[in-house]
Amino acid sequence: MLSLHIVALLIAGAQAAVLTLQSPRFTVTSSTGAQLRSEPISLARPASIPVTLEKDDVLKVTFQVIEKGASKGVQPHQTFLRFYDKKSGEEGIQPIRVTNGGKAKFELNMAKPPLSLPPTSDAPLQVTLLIGSPLHSPLSVALFDLVVPASQPAPVHPDEASFHPLPEIHHTFRPEQKLPPKPISAIFSVLVLSPWVVLLGLWAQTAPRVPHLLSPSILPFIGTLGAFQGLLVWYWADLKLGQVLTYGAVLGLVTIFTGKQALSKIGDQRVGRK
Amino acid sequence: MVYLRSLFLIIAGFAAGINAKSSTGDSVLVIVEPKQQDNYNLFFSGLKEQGYDLTFRAPKAEAPALIEYDVPAFAHVIVLASETKVFARDITPQSLVQLLAKKTNLIVALSPKQTPLTSLAAEFSLTLPPPGTPLVSYFPAREGPANVIPVSVPAKHTILSPNLHPVWFSGVPHTIGNNPLLVPILRAPAESFASETDGGSADSLVDSAERGGEGLWAGSQQGLVTGFQTLDGSRITWVGGADVFSDEYAKKEVSKGVPSGNLQFARDVAKWTFQETNVLRIDRTTHNRVNSTESLDQYTTNDQIEYAAYISKYDSKTGNWAPCTCLKDLQLEFTMLDPHIRTALLPVAAEPGKYATTFRAPDRHGVFKFVINYKRKGMSFLESSTTVAVVPPRHDGYPRFLSAAWPYYTGAISTSVAFFLFSAVWLASEAREKKAKGHKAE
Repeated sequence: MLSLHIVALLIAGAQAAVLTLQSPRFTVTSSTGAQLRSEPISLARPASIPVTLEKDDVLKVTFQVIEKGASKGVQPHQTFLRFYDKKSGEEGIQPIRVTNGGKAKFELNMAKPPLSLPPTSDAPLQVTLLIGSPLHSPLSVALFDLVVPASQPAPVHPDEASFHPLPEIHHTFRPEQKLPPKPISAIFSVLVLSPWVVLLGLWAQTAPRVPHLLSPSILPFIGTLGAFQGLLVWYWADLKLGQVLTYGAVLGLVTIFTGKQALSKIGDQRVGRK
Repeated sequence: MVYLRSLFLIIAGFAAGINAKSSTGDSVLVIVEPKQQDNYNLFFSGLKEQGYDLTFRAPKAEAPALIEYDVPAFAHVIVLASETKVFARDITPQSLVQLLAKKTNLIVALSPKQTPLTSLAAEFSLTLPPPGTPLVSYFPAREGPANVIPVSVPAKHTILSPNLHPVWFSGVPHTIGNNPLLVPILRAPAESFASETDGGSADSLVDSAERGGEGLWAGSQQGLVTGFQTLDGSRITWVGGADVFSDEYAKKEVSKGVPSGNLQFARDVAKWTFQETNVLRIDRTTHNRVNSTESLDQYTTNDQIEYAAYISKYDSKTGNWAPCTCLKDLQLEFTMLDPHIRTALLPVAAEPGKYATTFRAPDRHGVFKFVINYKRKGMSFLESSTTVAVVPPRHDGYPRFLSAAWPYYTGAISTSVAFFLFSAVWLASEAREKKAKGHKAE
């Protein structure tokens, strides 16, 4: 194997043979057979206008590989067309069959694209002809830019997404509860207080007198009743249930005694026992 | 016992003052044909300088074993015997996979010959060409055989040193599957292809391509050196040809006066594989309500929550973990079955290594998790999950004294006050019966 290479090298070195293409040409035909475009290919620079293929168009590339300075055709080991999407980095390699006489014909039918055509987007594919042979120096020719209809995207592994930043997710919160305007609440609060007008008006007429208010048997009971009301207001504003029950139990014990005393006193008064 | 031994090794390592080493251990087993061992002297001495402890074993030798009593005996294994078809009984594809599962790192060299390791490569989503078809390239024009190829190295790569000189390569290419755990390190030149070097005809290339599928191995989509990081964090690097590490290629000039990048490339590959570079870890995570430092087990819906993660990177120069502000795309998920919130976890400028974010807890109660799942090719994976409950407000946690309830408050208070006043007046007034009697008496 190695000796073969050395031989090859010797030949290559001796001849310094350079390959070239004879009458390279590309043609684009539509599905009906009408010729849309036919141009010779320049080896010096790629075609300035990209080649555009529609869904059913056929691209034909023909050339003959020859040694420079000789008319004899050569069949190189490697005759590849390389399709390269610069944007996505996708690449496809299509080997071309070359006859012993060096003649080559490649047909790209977009109705039946070959497997070697990479997945495409809207970016054009750079088409390069690569010719390599152990006996000659390699030849790389940029042919033209090829615009083909976008294909299905390349299949992606299901876990691939987790290897990239994922889209942000924001939680949609329920809307804040709306409160009615404060003046309306205030008006209704005043409305709730309106029975007091009636009560105080009627009381003003009857003018109840409170002669026993400060009597030692009545006042403690009124006081404890007031304390109970206070405890409940405190509970509403700040206290926990356990605290209220404790304080209420203590206060209740006191209230039982003060109430019993006050009510028995009133009972005595009403019965007339003095 | 093993633990004690490894502890002793660590202490011995410190005592010896070894400067640079891997984050997972310094013992390396090299499986290489004794005849070829001297071909890789530069590579091996480089590893020794870095502080690795190399043990050599012939592929057919019975000792030292890879796994002893279910514990891997070495932290890293290099299999350079790429052409050996029959290995000792304990070196099998299964045992190599077992090593990976036990967090041992591997470098495995392949060759155009069919060996047990060739079939193992397929399990890592690498498809090798048929046996006997090495990579060939006639580009660029050069002296020497077509299957010894200078491969230019990407100037910017997460694993490789920047601006490496081209690397000499001879061996097999592989197509790289779409498995995201694969980390392509070196890709084939665009003009290269796999072919039989002698007797390979132009027609056979066309025929193989027409067969479809993976008929032709050609172009820059093929890999030459490809890493694979398991979900556990262990790393394996597949090298298309063991010669990449050889002294011959390390010394061979790429062009006149330009040395090849092989030696540095081999070191970079070993550094990555042996967990020296691109090794990250989460030291700790914290979470608390904004304006508090206390970590809670449960948060209330709509709380403002502050979450922070502290991340370090291994520095093989000092052998220490240093806080790392290097991640730009870290994300935090707050999930209950599905992520409810996914937000960027950004580095805090004042505190290196700290990544923090603040977000409002969703108004959904349930068992949530703070999840960091950071996977990037070539970096060690970061995973963290903390479970907390999100509860509705407690009975006294709702807003109080709402303006909408003012009429109810006034109603209740006025009723209470009225009851109290009535009781007081009734208790303190004079008995009405007496009056009535008095009226009658009148």
